[in-house]
Amino acid sequence: MAQHRKDELFDHEYDGIQEYDNRMPNWWLWLLYGTIIFSFLYWGIVHTFDRGTLPLEAYRAEVASAAAEQLARMEGMDISDESLILVSRIPDRVDAGSRIWVQNCVECHLADGSGSIGPNLTDRYWLHGGKPLQIYTTITNGVPEKGMVAWGESMSPSKIQDVTAFLISSIKGKQLPGKDPEGEPEEG
Amino acid sequence: MTTDALKREIVYDDRIVRAFIVASVAFAVVAMSVGVLLAVQLVFWQANFSTSWMAFGRLRPLHTNAAIFAFVGNMMFAGIYYSTQRLIKARMGSDGLSWVHFWTWQLAIVGAAVSLPLGLTQAKEYAELIWPLDILIAVSWVAFSVNFFWALAKRNEKNLYVSLWFYIATIVTIPVLFIVNNLQLPTSFVHSYPIYAGVQDALVQWWYGHNAVGFFLTTPILGIMYYFIPKACGRPVYSYRLSVVHFWALIFLYIWAGPHHLLFTALPDWAQSTGMLFSLILLAPSWGGMLNGLLTLRGAWDKLKTDPVLKFFVVALTFYGMSTFEGPLLSIKSVNSLAHYTDWIIGHVHGGTLGWNGFMAAGMFYWLVPRLFGTKLWSTQLADAHFWTGTFGILLYVVAMWISGINQGLYWRALDAEGFLLYPDFVEWLVSARFLYLMRMIGGTVYLLGFLAMAFNLIMTARAGKPVVSADRVVVRTGFAGPSTWELIRGWPVVLSLLVVVGTVLFGIASPLTQGAVAGFLASLVVAAILAIGLGKDNWHRLLEGRPLAFTILTVVAILIGGLAELIPSVIIRHEVPLTPQAAEAKATTPDSSAALIASGTTDGAGNAGGTGTPGGAPGSVEKAAAHAVVSAFTQQPYSPLELTGRDIYVREGCFNCHTQMIRPMRHETLRYGEYSRAEEFIYDHPFQWGSRRIGPDLHRTGGKYPSLWHYIHMRDPRATSPGSTMPSYRFLTDAAVDFDAISRKMEALRRLGVPYSESDIRTAAQTARSQALLLATDLAEQEIEIKTESELLAVIAYLQRLGRGPQPTALESAAALEGGN
Repeated sequence: MAQHRKDELFDHEYDGIQEYDNRMPNWWLWLLYGTIIFSFLYWGIVHTFDRGTLPLEAYRAEVASAAAEQLARMEGMDISDESLILVSRIPDRVDAGSRIWVQNCVECHLADGSGSIGPNLTDRYWLHGGKPLQIYTTITNGVPEKGMVAWGESMSPSKIQDVTAFLISSIKGKQLPGKDPEGEPEEG
Repeated sequence: MTTDALKREIVYDDRIVRAFIVASVAFAVVAMSVGVLLAVQLVFWQANFSTSWMAFGRLRPLHTNAAIFAFVGNMMFAGIYYSTQRLIKARMGSDGLSWVHFWTWQLAIVGAAVSLPLGLTQAKEYAELIWPLDILIAVSWVAFSVNFFWALAKRNEKNLYVSLWFYIATIVTIPVLFIVNNLQLPTSFVHSYPIYAGVQDALVQWWYGHNAVGFFLTTPILGIMYYFIPKACGRPVYSYRLSVVHFWALIFLYIWAGPHHLLFTALPDWAQSTGMLFSLILLAPSWGGMLNGLLTLRGAWDKLKTDPVLKFFVVALTFYGMSTFEGPLLSIKSVNSLAHYTDWIIGHVHGGTLGWNGFMAAGMFYWLVPRLFGTKLWSTQLADAHFWTGTFGILLYVVAMWISGINQGLYWRALDAEGFLLYPDFVEWLVSARFLYLMRMIGGTVYLLGFLAMAFNLIMTARAGKPVVSADRVVVRTGFAGPSTWELIRGWPVVLSLLVVVGTVLFGIASPLTQGAVAGFLASLVVAAILAIGLGKDNWHRLLEGRPLAFTILTVVAILIGGLAELIPSVIIRHEVPLTPQAAEAKATTPDSSAALIASGTTDGAGNAGGTGTPGGAPGSVEKAAAHAVVSAFTQQPYSPLELTGRDIYVREGCFNCHTQMIRPMRHETLRYGEYSRAEEFIYDHPFQWGSRRIGPDLHRTGGKYPSLWHYIHMRDPRATSPGSTMPSYRFLTDAAVDFDAISRKMEALRRLGVPYSESDIRTAAQTARSQALLLATDLAEQEIEIKTESELLAVIAYLQRLGRGPQPTALESAAALEGGN
């Protein structure tokens, strides 16, 4: 290829059409090589080594940061259904809640929430209400006559928010068979 | 060699070329006129004329099919029949086959023009034609291919010129795409269901849709470019080696890029990334064609001033370059997140079709017609006028759509200071786009006027001359020397290329530990390949050009690799629908809980997942969404008989032309439409209805969002509920009657495709449908709306109310039961 000459005609024609065999432009070749190299790097980084952000991960991060921002705007307001739902969208806080759950709650409610000493928390029936704020209040004040500890005496409100967030995002509504339903069914 | 050979006169068949030109020009006028009507409808909804057959949703497929298959198709055949005969110095295989090809093709087009306005459709873009027409098209294509390869077999020119490579790629690839995407189970002579559902159907469709652009609108036109540009400017082709490299790269890579139509959808991530990356790599091979065309014109630029043919070719190549740059750009995920579903895509495809295909066609016709009629072009000034109006029209069109598209994307994603939608009402964008839609309408009309001027000019030219019989004295050959087909196929370039492909696939699936080693192996393979090419004395590719069979086999291999690599893994997930994490967990704990769930009636309330559009401010939506995820993931229930009927009407009316059913995982989408769409929700959707464009809002989570009365009013008079909407009125559905007794046959067909309808579901279909219709009619009657239970409108409402959630009551008793359960 080194002795290649510009505009050299092939000794052939097709219906009068002749062809040169000119070199391909270097910038064009590098465009081709560059996109190929980029693709291998992209695949390695994003798919093999999982260092990129795929659409679903990006979405979860977007939801979490929007929830954190909204929560910050609600600073100073009372804890509400709405604020607890926002907490449940922030993975760090849900994770913290899940650790609290494992340490304190699973003895009575089991790891999957299907209930043994305490009621099944995955079905639609609630003794003290299944709305986020009702759950939060039940955890804080406990139900001493039934053996439910008043966790608010030993645990900070933010920790109780975390465990509530874990409950509503990961336990509630799973509809697992377990302890028989107790209390009132929740609306739609 | 030539001394002992016979010289004989070969007469070329140009009658068939003239016929295809007439068909192409006539159908182009039809396609563009329908296009202009559609553009008018988007500005003035009244132009839907309150009929069923003039509504946007039915006419848009007619526009696209006519533009692609009737206009460009016939133009392509004219160019191929003219150039092939001359490049191989032989007449086509058989005149009879040529005419079978011609007439079956025109018959299919007429069939399309009748069936699509009647609402007979498969509802897959550019594959809308019903199965009997599909068979007709297949027959036509077989006639074409046999004719073509027969001609190659009796060629008197040993080597195949680059145009013919592109024709071969077209001829072998189109049937593969067409057949795989049109595998349907008929339920009647005019209706069928695709064998694929949901994600698989989407992937197969866009593998087809993308490659219809690649192998119907690109490769044959590149072949035509390689013939007509050197002929028209009298200059040698710039670079043979560029032809070789960009041809093989283009056909191998194109096939992989289809998933870029499905970025951010429920398609698996690996397929999305594959689609994006192969689209990026496709940029250089695509530009190879543009470069070779433009550089061939070196030294002929002065002719541009006087020759309208070259003007059209240069602008066509420029638009080709622009569209093939825009394509990879739009495939980049972050760009796509803004542009997908918007008018930008509409601008992109019109730049390709009107700019590249339309101008290549015009240039070719202006060059061909005077030669086919032995005269000069009737008016060069008129051709110049066509050139300038056409260029102005297409630029106005494309620029309007770019602005409108970007505007649309920005409107949708705009959030206010508190992190919620700045424009929560979808129609706000539509109202803002009105001026740009008007510009598009004008641009399209001006382009059409230019085309009409061309048609007139060509007719006058033809009238001034008379049909010419063209012939050549050629050396007649029988058999050519050279290596055998098998020797060529197992040549080192093939072996090395296949090894590189295998290496690349291994790289893709390698674990983090082994990927480095695979990359090293792959790099050494590539170095070996480059060295081998450098050392190769006898050019393997030139030998290959002398063996059409070997060439064709390798072309098939090149186009099959990408298709198989993407489609096979996806067909496998058909049986292993991915579950959400919660669902997988729940399923592991309670393998048999699905039945219990349905029995307890939880799907009703829980199914109404976060569709209110304000999750942040709607307490309870999260729990509902979580419950919904669990329920829908493994208790996905088929549509009820009435919902299925409604869905078939939705398909018939072409609702997917303006409404998507695929909510992307982006916060602005979930705020607006509700929880993002997941793969498992579509497993019974034959065909998938994800759509590709939003002129109206996404409908995937419409179920339960509005009362049925809202739908009743909205379908009959969209502006009554959504002022500013351009949706056609579907008042005519009110009096159209559902054939209840036909439903069971459709359900039977779907059951054979894997939808779990039981014997009794099918037996009682008519009864169940009537009862569900009665339930809806009663609900409306309570609000003083009189509607007959057999009204198609009720079926559509039933379908819309089911979208994105679990089973709905089909009778009073089950309605009571479901309510009681709560």
